[in-house]
Amino acid sequence: MCEAETPDFRIAGLLARIISELSEANEKLELLISLNRKLLQNQEKLRQTSDKIKSSEEFEFAPDVMALLSLPMSLRKTVMVLYKLEKATAKDIAKETKRLRAVESASANRLVRLGYLTKKREGRDVYFCIQPQVEVTE
Amino acid sequence: MSIKTISVHSSRGGTGKTVIATNLAAILANKGFTVALLDLDFRAPSLAMVFSEGIKLPVKCWLNDFLNGKCDGAQVFTDVSGRYNLKGKLLIGLANPAIDAMRNVMEKSRAWEVTAVKKLFSLISILNDTKVDFLVSDTSPGMQYSSVNAIVSSDISIMVTTLDSIDLKGTEDMLSELYDALEKKAVILANKASPETRIKSTKYNMNVADKLEKILKHPVIGVIPCYCDVLQSERTSLLAVEKPNHPFVKNLAEVAEKLEKGYLI
Repeated sequence: MCEAETPDFRIAGLLARIISELSEANEKLELLISLNRKLLQNQEKLRQTSDKIKSSEEFEFAPDVMALLSLPMSLRKTVMVLYKLEKATAKDIAKETKRLRAVESASANRLVRLGYLTKKREGRDVYFCIQPQVEVTE
Repeated sequence: MSIKTISVHSSRGGTGKTVIATNLAAILANKGFTVALLDLDFRAPSLAMVFSEGIKLPVKCWLNDFLNGKCDGAQVFTDVSGRYNLKGKLLIGLANPAIDAMRNVMEKSRAWEVTAVKKLFSLISILNDTKVDFLVSDTSPGMQYSSVNAIVSSDISIMVTTLDSIDLKGTEDMLSELYDALEKKAVILANKASPETRIKSTKYNMNVADKLEKILKHPVIGVIPCYCDVLQSERTSLLAVEKPNHPFVKNLAEVAEKLEKGYLI
């Protein structure tokens, strides 16, 4: 025969159930937080991969020495000078190639349109360079 | 005087590029010049073996490390002049002969190659600032990134060829489709020419040179006969130092003279 439950006993039972349910909820919350953290990590990895893919697509235009051979003769010299000078104005390039500044300006701007070079204004001068700069990693 | 850069190249392997590059560098250094010798054959580096007795291996900075941004250009070179008692200076920059390093270079992207050629130019600039007179680069045969990078950054290339018809055809193609396309100066050096070339008079040599010039449409800087003792000698021996009166060395000294006083002026 069961003993009649006293009010204190019932309250204690109720509290135990509340604690147990809170504990379960807490576990579920921790799981959710952990999942959220993993999601954020994956999101970051995806972003990095997407950047890498984007930059490797950009490098399809990397003016390496083999790409030089597919360029018109007039543009090759300009790129070869920029290997050496890193960044240069049309006047700097002309000094090396011994061609007219206007010829070098036209060549360099054509290479910019083809995606092989970038240009940047610094004061009155416009500088051309092989871009984007590549991270050297092993 | 600014630095003069020479690359030693060939259309195929086995023409004697490395022997020519190392001895040419030693001949120039023995004339009192400061010479840097660079191993740009990353797929089959051999200078580390040639000079292994003169340096502590592994070196503190391989050329590969420099191109990978791991060390400065000045750290690439080791001075081996003392070992050979040369009148001038001989500095060597070595490619890493470890299999991993070779594989690593083969896996590089096109973007990395752009950086590599720019770094090569920066290395030349460093050598120029440190008053180096000549840079001699030993390259990979054929059309590899490292060899084309060397050609692009050199004042002149020596195309080494044997008189074998396959070699000559490869040289002809390389000259017209690579050197002429890039408007780069190249001279021909026929090596391992048949024994008759040695026995016959200088006139015969001239004939060989004339014929080669007609076929290849580029100047011939020399015709070096085939010497069995050169072929059989240890790769670590530097004939220009050990046997300065050997006809192979004498022939190569003439090439050095022509470069110094003719083609590189």
